[in-house]
Amino acid sequence: MALVSSALLAHTTDLELVIRHVLAGLGQGMHAGRERGAGVEFSEYRAYAPGDEWRRVDWKLLARADRYYVREAERDSHVALWLVLDASASMAEPSRSIDGLDKLGYARILLACIGAIAQRQGDAFGLAVLSGGRVRLVPAARGPRQLQRVLATLKQVKAEGDLPDAEVLRSGLRFTASPALIFAASDFLDWPSSLSNVLVRLRHMRHDVRAVCLQTEAECAGSFDSGPAYRDPEGGSAVFRFGADLREGYLRNRAQHFDSVSAALRANDVLQVDARIEQAPGEVLRQWLRQGGRR
Amino acid sequence: MNSLWWLALPTLLLPIWWHRKKRVQVKAEPLASARFLPRTEPRQMRVWRWSDIVLLIVRCLLLACAIAWLADPVFPWRGDTVVVAAGTDAQWTEREVQAAGFGAAARVALPAQRALAWIGAHEREFKPQARLLVLGDIPMPALLPQFRHPLVLRTLAKPLPPGAARVAIVSKRPQEWRRMFAALDGPLRVVLENVPGPKTELIVWDMPEAPPAALRAPLWWATDAGAFTELAQSQALGTLRYADGARGRVWASNAWPPQDPAAARALLESWRTLHYAPLPYTAPAQSFAPTRAAARGDANGALRDFLLLALISLFAIERILTHARRR
Repeated sequence: MALVSSALLAHTTDLELVIRHVLAGLGQGMHAGRERGAGVEFSEYRAYAPGDEWRRVDWKLLARADRYYVREAERDSHVALWLVLDASASMAEPSRSIDGLDKLGYARILLACIGAIAQRQGDAFGLAVLSGGRVRLVPAARGPRQLQRVLATLKQVKAEGDLPDAEVLRSGLRFTASPALIFAASDFLDWPSSLSNVLVRLRHMRHDVRAVCLQTEAECAGSFDSGPAYRDPEGGSAVFRFGADLREGYLRNRAQHFDSVSAALRANDVLQVDARIEQAPGEVLRQWLRQGGRR
Repeated sequence: MNSLWWLALPTLLLPIWWHRKKRVQVKAEPLASARFLPRTEPRQMRVWRWSDIVLLIVRCLLLACAIAWLADPVFPWRGDTVVVAAGTDAQWTEREVQAAGFGAAARVALPAQRALAWIGAHEREFKPQARLLVLGDIPMPALLPQFRHPLVLRTLAKPLPPGAARVAIVSKRPQEWRRMFAALDGPLRVVLENVPGPKTELIVWDMPEAPPAALRAPLWWATDAGAFTELAQSQALGTLRYADGARGRVWASNAWPPQDPAAARALLESWRTLHYAPLPYTAPAQSFAPTRAAARGDANGALRDFLLLALISLFAIERILTHARRR
């Protein structure tokens, strides 16, 4: 099945629908599942919640109790997933070619898909949204309810303000010592920033850190409209101009910036995926989830 | 000069400036990667754009209306005009109009006394090439009038209205008084009565006893001052004494009835002059050439009511629109 394009995804805000389509194109088994199947030891019954798979409902118990119960299996996954979303004001940058698509929406789709995959595999996952100088945290947990919580939080996120400063971020992201997989989506226009420091620190704590750097086609090609004046959404009241004469300088400055970003990430052994938001999310997800891409 | 108010018209630039000024702003779109671009000076928008055009128009109209109300404009709209004094013979009027070639001209009927004054006050309403014809028994003005339009005056003296003053003579020697009144000439006619009535204008009281208290008249001539108590506080004018009382004005003199023609004429002349308005003298027919004299009467307020109404309506609309914009 062909990968679902960004233009198509820009039409809906229903994350569950998006997840279903993107993951259908991606195919199953991207990530090695742990402890699935018959060998799992029974732990407890739990009341059915919307989103649970039907095959996990205990039908005999339904016949006896006239209620839906789900068999919970004892699992001890050692890996927790953390989805880190940069929702500062610059993430509202729209695609200049596809209406209704912006960096935040794209990051939202990517992280929702990762969360859905984690939920299907039985991994615990949590969400941290960095927006307006604050950290909003959904603690790591398992199960379909957790997915609903994460999706609801993602839907509410608005791109505003700056990244939280280093102190706030350090107190907000208290990860356990257990090994974690960290997926961070940002535009990395601020570098070094509090987010970059945190990612490097987490990598030094032996966590698996993977960053996706979101860009737009217009940014990469330097093809902005030269008519209007521009301002930096996080940079105060200064006014900027774009024109054909400034394109070369713009591309040079930009390449220099992202070269330094890539160098820093590589030096710290953080996986970096460059993604244009006009790309199909499936492609980006495939690169992002690639096992051993770095090792 | 009211027309100096037109110099206030530049105040219309104020609302235009207010509504224009708001557009002098920089509109900048957010661009995440703006930091890779060089800074520039904020540019003002070159596009001539307006905010709240309806409100601007209403405000300009409001100001213009207020200035017009103060300046009280007059638009020349009257062409050739025939001014006919009220009560003029219709046949004669037609004849004169046709003779002067004013057949198609508009006609204005006015009281004869006010005709020339009305033309002077409304002169600004006449078009520059308009001609005027004035017909009827127009009284002669004290000063030679001047007009900015050619004006032809054709007059027809009306016969004097039949009318006479009623005089009651209460005297033991009525013949002497009657002889005096019979000698009266001029426009004033006299009807002599023996018994005073309610319409009596002059009572000659040549009796030593006081008149009945209920008897009233505008003027009394008394020969015996003792008959009238109000004469106690009278004022003297030669041999004549006069006073105002409840029953009317009293003239008293011991020298009455006058014995010589000069005294009689003087008495009758004084009475006629003081108690009867002079009859107007019909002006002779003549033509007035246009002069450059300034129009008399700065304003006539022809448009004031309309402008005031428009001013109030526009003010209400302006308030409503301003309020609606704030909501």
